[in-house]
Amino acid sequence: MSIEYIKKIARLTEFVSVEEAEGLLEWLQANPKGKVDLAACTHLHAANLQVLMAARPNIAAWPENTDLASWLRSALEPSINSLPEK
Amino acid sequence: MSPLLEQFIAEGRDFLQDIGEKLMALEGAPDSVELMTELFRLVHTLKGNSGLFKFPEMTRVLHAGEDLMDSVRDGRVTYSEELADCLLDAMDFVGLLLDEIETTGATDAGHAEQSNELAQVLRALIPAREDEAETTAASETASPANATPPDLARIPEGSRLAAWHLAAAGHALFWIAYHPDEECFFKGDDPFHQARQSPGLIWGEAVARAPWPPLVELDCYRCQTNFHLLVAAERAELDEYFRYLPEQVAIQPVAPLALVIPEGLPNGGPVYGDFVGEARALLDADDLAGLAAAGLSLLELSSAQLWLSSDLRWLLAVLETSPERRDVLRLLIEALNTLTLPDWSSITASVNASVPEAALAPAPKKVALSAEDRTRLDAIFSVQSDILSLPDAVDWLPGRLISVAATLAACLANQGEAAEEVDEVNEALATALAERSAGPLRNWLAAFREDAVQATPTDDPAPLAESEDDVSESPAPTVVAAALATSAPVPAVGRRAPDSAASGSEPKFGRRADDAQVGKVLKVDQAKVDQLMNLIGEMVVAKNSLPYLASRAENQFHVPEFGREIKAQYAVINRIAEEMQDAIMRVRMTPVSFVFQRFPRLVRDISRKLGKEVELVLEGEDTEADKNIIEALADPLVHIVRNSLDHGLEVPEQRVAAGKPRVGRLLIRATQESDRVLIEIIDDGRGIDPAVIKRKAYEKGVIDEATLDRIGDQEAINLVFGAGFSTVEAVSDLSGRGVGMDVVRSAIDKVGGTVALTSTTGKGTTLRLSLPLSMAVSNVMIIESDRQIFGVPMDMVVETVRLPRDDIHTIKRQKTIVLRGRIVPLVALNDLLAVPAEPAVNADDELAALVVRVGGEQVGLLVDDFREVVDVILKPLPGDLARLTRYAGTALLGDGTVLMVLNPKELFR
Repeated sequence: MSIEYIKKIARLTEFVSVEEAEGLLEWLQANPKGKVDLAACTHLHAANLQVLMAARPNIAAWPENTDLASWLRSALEPSINSLPEK
Repeated sequence: MSPLLEQFIAEGRDFLQDIGEKLMALEGAPDSVELMTELFRLVHTLKGNSGLFKFPEMTRVLHAGEDLMDSVRDGRVTYSEELADCLLDAMDFVGLLLDEIETTGATDAGHAEQSNELAQVLRALIPAREDEAETTAASETASPANATPPDLARIPEGSRLAAWHLAAAGHALFWIAYHPDEECFFKGDDPFHQARQSPGLIWGEAVARAPWPPLVELDCYRCQTNFHLLVAAERAELDEYFRYLPEQVAIQPVAPLALVIPEGLPNGGPVYGDFVGEARALLDADDLAGLAAAGLSLLELSSAQLWLSSDLRWLLAVLETSPERRDVLRLLIEALNTLTLPDWSSITASVNASVPEAALAPAPKKVALSAEDRTRLDAIFSVQSDILSLPDAVDWLPGRLISVAATLAACLANQGEAAEEVDEVNEALATALAERSAGPLRNWLAAFREDAVQATPTDDPAPLAESEDDVSESPAPTVVAAALATSAPVPAVGRRAPDSAASGSEPKFGRRADDAQVGKVLKVDQAKVDQLMNLIGEMVVAKNSLPYLASRAENQFHVPEFGREIKAQYAVINRIAEEMQDAIMRVRMTPVSFVFQRFPRLVRDISRKLGKEVELVLEGEDTEADKNIIEALADPLVHIVRNSLDHGLEVPEQRVAAGKPRVGRLLIRATQESDRVLIEIIDDGRGIDPAVIKRKAYEKGVIDEATLDRIGDQEAINLVFGAGFSTVEAVSDLSGRGVGMDVVRSAIDKVGGTVALTSTTGKGTTLRLSLPLSMAVSNVMIIESDRQIFGVPMDMVVETVRLPRDDIHTIKRQKTIVLRGRIVPLVALNDLLAVPAEPAVNADDELAALVVRVGGEQVGLLVDDFREVVDVILKPLPGDLARLTRYAGTALLGDGTVLMVLNPKELFR
């Protein structure tokens, strides 16, 4: 569906389309400590993914969708693969 | 295949032909702006057309061609032969795709790579504009084409293990580096979705192309993310999946062994020395079960994060899937000692039996030959060797030597041998020619074959595919080349492949203009078909003279046998002529969709204007009839449809009030009924009220009072065909000018058709047009009157009767007769044609009457005698004579007589 911004949490639900990326980016700029709740998210457009990768917000909940979760964990978890490609 | 696609293919071929011609013309006049513009237009149109279908490979090449032509047109690039060559290559490729589409209805995604190459070659000719230069450079560095070898260690062990098992199950593994275009979001792409949905996806990651800028500077609509994927899928499937963005992905095969990378904490070292010793012993003893058990128990004891555990997991995986790989197992065991990555490159030969060899093969400098090809090649060599062993003392020795050398050189070039070997052949040839002896060549060949035998059994060592990405090159060209060489063992010397590399890398579906396929659709000037039509007409006439000849042979020369033979021959010629006529007629056949296709738009526009809601249903659009008939149908049909919309169908409110569906229905249906085309226009509107028609007709003076009382409803309805008849008071721009139905009727009459109108008040109206399939050949009956003969079209003739003179009664000075209970008026043909003679009677005092149907009524035409019925080609009267409307035209009879064919409709007017 889209993104709901509730206080300090951005809740991404179902499919997050390309149009949402700009809003998400602005919100993350305004709320550097905001958390992102991905639990109900099934897919997000690559533009949103980029925003999350660049901003590295705290993740309140990883997606329930295991496939998406593994993609996002590898891209967003601060540990191993966070360095840009050589 | 849809008609649209068929048309595209036919037109596409024409375009290619034109493009080729323009390019050729440009070679002579490279500065011609006109040619250049035309060329651009052709490429542009073809590209646009291809975009209607899903042929991304074709569109991509054409798009690149279009861009190139655009820059040539703008003068940014000057025309060069190289440019022409590239464009011609590209057009050959498009032609090939067209062939493929024609046979299979689609293009193979496997062409994506070649299409991409061609597009790049074309684009390379376009100089980057200054403002573009920077981005081009940037995108070039980001291009996955020069991607680094896959970093498989990035993949978590679990995924690698899964991939190993899939590979063992016979799946091919590929590493895909997907570097989406920066602008791709604006093209509606979602690279993340594309990546997630890849076929056979095992693992994938998204990585930033460069360190992320601070959020304030981030442009979230510029794609800065690359994707790496590990998939187990067919190559073709991947090509198909990424066919719209081949320039953004690099697909490399992955050797399963390359995935075996133990990882983890390097603790524990020598403690496990015991295990290594034991495992070695077990492996030597071939006790794989024992080895597995030992490995498993050690794994259970060890922490899962240890490097050692990872190594053990791989050991178990290899044991499970390919226990025959002792070398791999041994290396994994040894690695436990050193805790270093096993050196897989020390393992030669193929790694996993189920892995396609292509994934492991080294970059082929030589084209790898299949065993079959090797035997073939060997056969060629041995034949050449036999030839060289023939006695030298013949005059044609030089020719023989040259041809042998050419064959050898061709084989070598196609086999991908180095140029030195080809040079060697040439040297040997030169020596041989100088010595006038086959010796040097024979020796060279013997030496070469010996080398080859030594080289073949030991395959080239196969290092892991990690480093090479150029394995997609298939060995197919060699097959073709070898086959060519066998079929033409004596090519000219000069035709030796100039450089082996080029011939080796030539795509397997390489195609040149010289084997261009001829299109299956022929565009022919209609005049030529008409000429054929006329000729076959004369043929029919000439053929018809044979029966005359036969009867003359019998009656005049009294040789009945000869007459019979002529008749037998006539039967044969008759059959052929009829088939020919039929075939030519079919050339002229056009589907009614030619006329029908304009109706959806017409109906939409008119109904909009009238505020009506109409659903148009077209049926039988593929019904065919002669082109002239179809063309003649166009205007009347438009009239009829307008009438239906204007007068027939009601506005939605009226329809609802009348209990009918809101949306009116207009059905146009074409069917073929024996040799006629039937077109029905059916609406479910208000129908025609006979009472209104009668009143209007009376008011306008079309009918008198007596008729008004007498005529039935159907007759009343037919009054709408009367000239100047209109029921609508106000003349609109649609209808109501009183030139409606009578125009329709006369137009249909002109091509020998009929119109019938039926209507039920409140329910709707049906118009039936019946038209001949073709008007090329008319069936006419010959009649005689006052020693002249005339033709009457058979479709008018109801019957021929002999009437006793006594039975003819005169009512109101009109001769009539009661025929089958009906009063039929009789008219003498002589009177109509102003021939001063009475109709002749026969010996029984009977008059000959030809009963014809004119406008729904029967009339008896009094003639002198009836003759036979013949097929004739009716030709309209030329020049001023055409104004004699009483004649439909003339025809030539078999005996050379000119037959005047009457037009009964005009005759009784």
